[in-house]
Amino acid sequence: MNSAESRADRFARELADLKISDPAAGHPRLWQRLGAAAMAAGIVLAASAYLVSHRTTSSLTQGDAITIGLGGLTLGVVGAAVFLRYSLTGFLRFWMARQSFELNMLAERVFSGSLLAKSDGRLDSGGGSVAEKIPSGA
Amino acid sequence: MSVLLELRGVRAAYDGVTVLHGVDLSVSAGQVVALLGPNGAGKTTTLRIAAGVHQVQSGRLLLAGCDMARAAPRDLARAGVCLIPEGRGVFPNLSIRDNLLMMTYTGRSREQIEELIFTRFPVLGKHASRAAGTLSGGEQQMLALARGLATDPAVLLLDELSMGLAPVVVSRLYEHVAEVARQGIAVLLVEQFAAAALSIADHAAVLVRGRVALQGRPDGALRAELSDLYLGSSK
Repeated sequence: MNSAESRADRFARELADLKISDPAAGHPRLWQRLGAAAMAAGIVLAASAYLVSHRTTSSLTQGDAITIGLGGLTLGVVGAAVFLRYSLTGFLRFWMARQSFELNMLAERVFSGSLLAKSDGRLDSGGGSVAEKIPSGA
Repeated sequence: MSVLLELRGVRAAYDGVTVLHGVDLSVSAGQVVALLGPNGAGKTTTLRIAAGVHQVQSGRLLLAGCDMARAAPRDLARAGVCLIPEGRGVFPNLSIRDNLLMMTYTGRSREQIEELIFTRFPVLGKHASRAAGTLSGGEQQMLALARGLATDPAVLLLDELSMGLAPVVVSRLYEHVAEVARQGIAVLLVEQFAAAALSIADHAAVLVRGRVALQGRPDGALRAELSDLYLGSSK
């Protein structure tokens, strides 16, 4: 029982150390929106800086515009990366869950169908594997 | 025995419709608690709350004395709460070995997991390379249980282990569950079919329409009351 107690103690310790994240906080959505906003702001900044630099002959203003333009491009790239990271995570999570569900359904359909059709309609009672019950050569 | 899982006055709802009306339940280390009740009583919701998958409306979810009602399911899973859902939840297109490999996220190596699981469930070791979808219902449920045990759980939550299985297979699976509990794991077992669950339970609670209608040791008195609840009172 010592090992049992130690597992229970370890469980209590790990729970006490746990920093509880609030599942309702919706951090991924916040980051996704921030990323989209940064991407849009970066593009606007870069485009504005391009236009400003073309409408002046002052090299000082052009220098400022180049700096702002580069900053805008950087902001746009970082924003795009953040947006993609959080939107892709959500999409891939959904895709994986759907894939897993569909495979499960397919497997159930295929194997239960094979069983009913090829083993005299007897249902699997758990005594052996499905593969074993499908007649050889089938 | 320390109480590892405790629900105190837990209320829960789906889209504003309350399905649990103040459930009180506790499971200690090494104890098997059977949560019984008819379809739609709120048994699976209770398990989902214990695993952190469903948020409580009010009340407390205590794990080893800590209030975890706001914890994310991944945090609880990492700490040692393991939910084996109804419908087994194995990857049918992956082999048994690969299904077990998925559980190495807990930090255990593949070798450690295989040694632990194949020793306890030799039949899984024998068919280690076979796709999980080709196993019988009983073997798939065994694999689901094995995947749960591979995470080194402190609290094991089992939902309808017997679903769609022959009584002899269910009885073998329950022997494994009893063995797991003897090692100090707290087991909360949800079942619609009472007889099998009561055979290994140390404590039983019956949920009816979101309320614990009765609970106690699974002795003759409880079985008689349970029979009345399921079939209607003979008095």
